[in-house]
Amino acid sequence: MPEIILNNVAKRFGKFVAVDNLNLHIESNSFITLLGPSGCGKTTTLRMIAGLETPTEGSISIDDKVVFDADRGINLPPNKRDVGFLFQNYALWPHMTVYQNIAFGLENLKWKKQDIRDRVSELLKMLRIEPFEKRYPAELSGGQQQRVAIARTLAPGPKVLFMDEPLSNLDAKLRMEMRTELKRLHRDTDSTFVYVTHDQLEAMTLSTNVCIMENGVLQQFAPPLVMYNNPANLFVADFMGNPTMNFIDGHLGVDGRLTFGGMTAMFGHSGEYLGERDVVVGIRPEYIHVGEGDLKATVYSTLPSGMETTVKLDVKGTSLTAVVFGDLDYAVDSEVSFSFHKAAVLFDKADGKNIAKGQLLSPAMGG
Amino acid sequence: MQQVRTGNLTMNRLRGRVKAWLSKPANIILLVFLVTLTALTLYPLLSMLVETVTIHTGREARASKLAAGTLSLYHFERLFATSENQYSWIQFYEPFLNTLLVSLSSSVIAILFGGVVAFLVTRTNLKYKKFVSAVFTFPYIMPAWTLALFWETFFKNVNIGLKTSNGIMASVFGVYAPEWFVYGAFPIALVLGLHYAPFAYILIGGILRNMDANLEEAATILKTSRPRIIWKITLPIVKPAMLSTFLLVFASSMSAYSVPVFLGSPVRYYVLSTKMKSLMDSYPGQAYIIVGVMILFGVGILLLNQKVTNSRKQFTTVTGKSGQISKINLGKANRPVAILLVIILLMVAVVPLVTFALESVIIKAGDYSLSNMTLDFWIGTALDKRLDQGDSTGILLNPKVWNALIFSLSLAVTCAIVAGTCGILVGYGVAKRRGSRLASWVNSLSFFPYLMPALAFGAIYLAMSSQIPWLRGFLLLALVGSVKYLPFASRSGVNAMLQLSGEIEEAAVITGVPWWKRMVRVIFPIQKSSFLSGYLLPMVSCMRELSLFVLLVPTSNTILTTMLMQYSEKGWAQFGNAINLLIIIVVLLVNFTVNKLTGASIDKGVGG
Repeated sequence: MPEIILNNVAKRFGKFVAVDNLNLHIESNSFITLLGPSGCGKTTTLRMIAGLETPTEGSISIDDKVVFDADRGINLPPNKRDVGFLFQNYALWPHMTVYQNIAFGLENLKWKKQDIRDRVSELLKMLRIEPFEKRYPAELSGGQQQRVAIARTLAPGPKVLFMDEPLSNLDAKLRMEMRTELKRLHRDTDSTFVYVTHDQLEAMTLSTNVCIMENGVLQQFAPPLVMYNNPANLFVADFMGNPTMNFIDGHLGVDGRLTFGGMTAMFGHSGEYLGERDVVVGIRPEYIHVGEGDLKATVYSTLPSGMETTVKLDVKGTSLTAVVFGDLDYAVDSEVSFSFHKAAVLFDKADGKNIAKGQLLSPAMGG
Repeated sequence: MQQVRTGNLTMNRLRGRVKAWLSKPANIILLVFLVTLTALTLYPLLSMLVETVTIHTGREARASKLAAGTLSLYHFERLFATSENQYSWIQFYEPFLNTLLVSLSSSVIAILFGGVVAFLVTRTNLKYKKFVSAVFTFPYIMPAWTLALFWETFFKNVNIGLKTSNGIMASVFGVYAPEWFVYGAFPIALVLGLHYAPFAYILIGGILRNMDANLEEAATILKTSRPRIIWKITLPIVKPAMLSTFLLVFASSMSAYSVPVFLGSPVRYYVLSTKMKSLMDSYPGQAYIIVGVMILFGVGILLLNQKVTNSRKQFTTVTGKSGQISKINLGKANRPVAILLVIILLMVAVVPLVTFALESVIIKAGDYSLSNMTLDFWIGTALDKRLDQGDSTGILLNPKVWNALIFSLSLAVTCAIVAGTCGILVGYGVAKRRGSRLASWVNSLSFFPYLMPALAFGAIYLAMSSQIPWLRGFLLLALVGSVKYLPFASRSGVNAMLQLSGEIEEAAVITGVPWWKRMVRVIFPIQKSSFLSGYLLPMVSCMRELSLFVLLVPTSNTILTTMLMQYSEKGWAQFGNAINLLIIIVVLLVNFTVNKLTGASIDKGVGG
């Protein structure tokens, strides 16, 4: 079973550092997402694991086999790494039919004609593209091209599959559909998936583990829900979740009393004593319950979507975003009450690191 | 009553529609060009067709025993079906086969050489890439006859051809090249192939450069070997570009005139273009039939080209993250390959210039010692006292040369401005009304002059100008040049416009910016370098043009190229070489100045 291990991998283009000192342990059969804004080094990381890019430093092993080691001078070419790669723009060969595209990899492996025929038919059926067998890529829609690309990648049955933003060229509806299919595919094929995306929702919904990067540096590597509820720093907290987390500058007193955005609360948590310091309080929008509690705010605007309503609140000049479930709406400029539920995360004001996760107890106005 | 009102209504609606149609500048532009281009291309073509069935005064009338002016198929019969003295074979079939042979071989040479170098520059870690890509387009920028003249001066000797004198090879190295090597099919095909190789380099290199690297990477991941990737993925994808190049080079080689004149005529090796020129004086009817055959070929090639580029397997230009392509490591072969390439390029692009410089300063042909050299042919005075040939002053002190240079330059600038501007307008109209019948007519019409052999085009305009008294001199030359080079400009104009999305102009329309202001302030600046290339190509081509103007100039001293032709016919080798060098230097200077100032260049899109 293939696991992938990256040790101190770095990639520099001249003075520019694309990826810096990256350590990752990707377990067998997992579905890993490399997540981050554009230019954060996620695609470079993927291409280095696949062998399309040569790292400047470090070592990479796939399935207990060292495929790259800068110190020992090992660098296996991509075709010796037993991997599959799905490109963002599909990279279908325009001069070959759908059938020829899918069969090409199998021909390289010197499969028998009949076996190739069978395998291609199986894939065409699995991805529901049988009617297009004899067409050229230019004659297919984006979604169909995508399926052909997946079929071509899956044909030799790779145990490791790399995907570089494979859904970003599709429209919203199709993207939704393909997400479900990719997740199913992961289960059916029994392989390890490494997936690059800048879409946090994709990362949340698809992966078993998310690796989030900024400027070539790993920020956090954790299962998506862990990352959502207990982000390692402000960057991760801000990147995960939509609408984004509320960040309110505040001060933590010696007695554990928190003053923030014209409110006060006791910060209850199970960890060690935090001391007095400036903090940023992070509260998820769905943990602000509108219409109950002692806190007062003015409704600034509302965005009802039917299933839920995003409400922008104004608390004495501090703006808060709340999500209310159900088809509720509020009059703009009306006064509402609200309360905090479940967890809040405290970040250090100076370096943005997560210092504690806890509860906001007996919050009140003033301070 | 009712009926009248409906009638009025339809009239009103019709008027409204016409008004709406005319309110779009693109429509007016297309209409104007449809009319002018029809007059300037189809009319000459028709008048040429009439010439093929008309008996002309002089030899034709005497030989056919028909009165001058009679309409008859005599010329066709004479040219295609006269077995006596092998007339048809010598006048038509043999030159025809020669043309096919030469054009085919030069296309193959151009594609092999240009394609391989394009691949090396874009896909491998070849050394000296910068130099290679900078020098590679030299032969195309230089006049085609440059290489031909160089070949002749370098290899000629007293045993072959005109048997006049020894070239460098014979006099310095004592090597006497055989005739097939110096004259005839082999050198013509080679020289044309080398001259047009930059074509292949630019077209194929452009595709290779823009080709999505993921296409090759996808194959690598699927365990494809390097040779197999090149064979099964890369080559098929550049195939349309290769075919296009093949057809373009074929068409250009077919109508080339100066190269076969220099390398074929001394041994009586004729191709269609040279045969046509020699027939033009005595039997114009037959000459025009040959022109017709060449045009037919050209149209056929154009249609084929369109078919090739419109196939199902069309190359889609969706590009991904192709910036990160891994280049093939040439390893140990790198240096030898690079050095070989540099040597070839030096031979093709630099040595000719040195040779011309040398030949322009030696006093007695064949003697390359320092004592036999003088700068008199450039800056000497009172030369006639010492020489029995040529002008009395060196070319740089000769007012004739300066007048011709100024005339040539103003002609080139005029043609460039007219053709370039018209090219942009045609591009605008065609791109705006893409898909409409009017647009495709104008598009084809503007490309049509490309298919007309330059010499024939000149001949047709000569015939036309004899009926229009005010159309002569500078005006005539500028008109012919502008029409002939319009295809270059309209190609780049159409391409540049097609890349611009309509919204860019519409954003300006919404805010009420008038049309000319949109063109000058919005559209032109965005595609500046493409448009400027559209000006540059006609200018460079015009500067070095010979065959188009040779029949139309009032005297041979009018422009530099015809002056060169006259000097080499008279055998004034040193003056000829000096003028030749002067032309090349001017052309290169213009090219590099424009390139440095604006970024526009002939080889735009390809580089190291």
